[in-house]
Amino acid sequence: MNIIEIKGLKKDYPLGKTTVNAVRGVDLNIEEGEFISIIGPSGSGKTTLLNVIGCIDTATEGSVKVGGAEITIMNDRALTDLRLHKIGFIFQTFNLIPVLDVIENVEFPLLLMKKHTKSEIRKRALKLIEEVGLKEHATHRPAELSGGQRQRVAIARALVTNPDIVLADEPTANLDSVTGAQILELMREMNKIENTTFIFSTHDEHVLKYANRVVKIKDGFIMEG
Amino acid sequence: MLLNLSLRNLFRQKRRNLMLGIAIGLGVTILIMASSFSRGIEDIMFNKIVTYVAGHVSVNMNEGLGKRVPVFRDKERLFSIIKKNVEQDAEIDESFGVFTRAIGNGKADNMILVAIDTSKRYTEERKKEVRESFNVIGGSLLDIGTSAVANAVILSRDRAESLNVKKNDVISIRFRNVFGQNQSERLTVVGVLQNDNIFMQGVMFCELKNVKAMMGYRPYECANIHIKIKDPKENAVRVADKIHSALTPGPAFIAGKLSYLSSESEVVVIPFRGDDDSIRLIGSSFELLDGKMDDVLLRDGVMISSNIADKLGVKPSSEVLISYNAKFEKERGSFKVQIKGVFKSDVYKGDNTIYMHEALFYPKFYDRIPDLDKERARVSLPEVLLSLPESTNKDRSNTFLPEDLNKKRASALGLTDQAYFKSALGNEWELLDRTRNTDEMRKKYAAQARKKIRATTMDVNSMYESASDVLKLESVLNIITLWAVLILFFIILIGVVNTLRMTIKERTREIGTIRAIGMQKRDVWGIFMIETSLLSLFASFAGTLFAFVLMWLLTLIRFNVTDNPLGILLVSNHLYFLPTFGSVLLNITLILVITVITAYFPARRAANLSSAEALRHYE
Repeated sequence: MNIIEIKGLKKDYPLGKTTVNAVRGVDLNIEEGEFISIIGPSGSGKTTLLNVIGCIDTATEGSVKVGGAEITIMNDRALTDLRLHKIGFIFQTFNLIPVLDVIENVEFPLLLMKKHTKSEIRKRALKLIEEVGLKEHATHRPAELSGGQRQRVAIARALVTNPDIVLADEPTANLDSVTGAQILELMREMNKIENTTFIFSTHDEHVLKYANRVVKIKDGFIMEG
Repeated sequence: MLLNLSLRNLFRQKRRNLMLGIAIGLGVTILIMASSFSRGIEDIMFNKIVTYVAGHVSVNMNEGLGKRVPVFRDKERLFSIIKKNVEQDAEIDESFGVFTRAIGNGKADNMILVAIDTSKRYTEERKKEVRESFNVIGGSLLDIGTSAVANAVILSRDRAESLNVKKNDVISIRFRNVFGQNQSERLTVVGVLQNDNIFMQGVMFCELKNVKAMMGYRPYECANIHIKIKDPKENAVRVADKIHSALTPGPAFIAGKLSYLSSESEVVVIPFRGDDDSIRLIGSSFELLDGKMDDVLLRDGVMISSNIADKLGVKPSSEVLISYNAKFEKERGSFKVQIKGVFKSDVYKGDNTIYMHEALFYPKFYDRIPDLDKERARVSLPEVLLSLPESTNKDRSNTFLPEDLNKKRASALGLTDQAYFKSALGNEWELLDRTRNTDEMRKKYAAQARKKIRATTMDVNSMYESASDVLKLESVLNIITLWAVLILFFIILIGVVNTLRMTIKERTREIGTIRAIGMQKRDVWGIFMIETSLLSLFASFAGTLFAFVLMWLLTLIRFNVTDNPLGILLVSNHLYFLPTFGSVLLNITLILVITVITAYFPARRAANLSSAEALRHYE
């Protein structure tokens, strides 16, 4: 079953006086539970594609269905709600909230959902922190953690709401190769445990071995996959 | 969650928020201090200075053209009218000043002897207030009430120096009493007033009953009235208007017996006014059967109705005796007048009437006032005193209307032409129009002087007229406070907008992240609004605390202000702040509102940031 269905997706955005055609007509279907890697050089449109799938950017043309829902016709409020409930994000620069400690960062999306009790939230967050191996660092602030540890927190935060999809934009780009590999291992493991669809972008060919499907993108077109 | 996040963010950029907090806090401090100082001055002015200088509302009398004697001949009636028109807890006091020539130890100076009633029981709070308002070294203003020495007085330091007197010395004064006679009296100095403000210079305070005795007031007579009311700012004008309306006078007349040779007749003596308009009106309204109108209209002019003249054989140049019952004295009032003319009597002018120039009438009338209410019931008054309906009686004090206007008024009321001369007749007293400020009041007095009114003038003023110069100070302070608010507004505006702009710029990626994770726009807006409000609230509390500490420190400083009008801004030589819970709350709310308004748009900008663009942002 396809969790994501993309047809004829185009995305243009203005850059000064010119228009950049970041995505020029992409058709892509992704099945539930896949661990998929989008690979391509810088400026190929990877991030734009992920942003559109993640409902944080809008398509210029085409159709994008996430979990069967056409997102191109949704308003900001509905898109925000969809992101909160269905999608988890992992960023290249980790993007943790610096004033919150590890456990609070992980709890944050659940608090936004406003449908769980405090104890439920704490229990779920602790479980994920344990799964990513940061039990000992639960009360540390992001500034007190290494890059790898921060990305683990980001993974826990992305998974805490039990999303259908986790989007990771170059999750290993800011990490050394060993740590990067560990992170990808962890993501793969979580993919198996939680059966969550993982889509991650990378320009590093070494990480492709972790993916069970690779989509190659260049100049806004899908070349392969 | 939003509160928690906002609170933590607040401590994130410590230095920047601290600086902004200090700016807001100092603003609050300035605002609270300015408003407390303004309120302090307002309190000094409304409840201390104005109360003693003029009262919140004052009723001032002037009897006898040119003599300026503050006397009303029926104290009970005046007090009863005033009491009916003020709240029960209003303080009604007699008070007046007498111009005197004072002679001390080898030196003389002009002084105003101010009469104050200290005979009533003062509460401890009031005694304290008197001590604070009148700084008498080694004593209190209330010492003038002592009966241990004759006519105890307390005088201002500058006059004590100019008269070369000190405590226990005797001062001789010369003054004119209520009868217009020059008198002298000896006063004993029981204290020297240290206040050097403009209101305390050149004055001597003396017990009311002593001054009244010196001046020749009789027990049933009273001087000017000062009324202290609650919430004077709100109520003074309203109360003054109400009292003014209630003090509308009725017509003046004397009902008694006329004796000529061995015959007697009931008679009603009515005064006519002596101003040019009234004289013309009287001259044209009466038909003289005997005598010359020119003689009748002079200051000693008297004309008698033909009915009595015929009955008693009175002719021009006849001297008749008029006697009547006085309201307060057992002895009947009586006076002789020489008749100058005989007019044709009719139903309006009356069959048993004498019309008399006011210059001749009022000295007799006020010397022994008749009981007019009793007389109205006893005798039948001529139609002219009854003819105008009550509604027009109300604006009877708008006297000296042009002749044609009087005619119009009379004709509009369906009266014959003869009736309109009523406006040329005198009233029990002359109620001056209400004015709204000192300038209007001065103009009114100038106009009144030109009219040469012989009846006692009665003037009802609120503090806004009698002390408007003092009250202008308050307006100046309010303007200063307003400027402080405006300056503060711009400081906060620039501070908050700049701080938020920098914060938003620094946190752009964070905003992108939390929006991506699933935070709604309004919550992002809420974070910034709460953050700014919290900063403003903390700063306001700190600023308030600082303001109170500063005010306390400032009140510890003693100012030795001499010969400086600004001395009125001090209480016992110390600055006086009057912060109230309401005003502090208002100031904090004002700052919060300014901050929230200022933060609104930058916060909205942050909320409207596109997540994709925000995530692409690199510092």
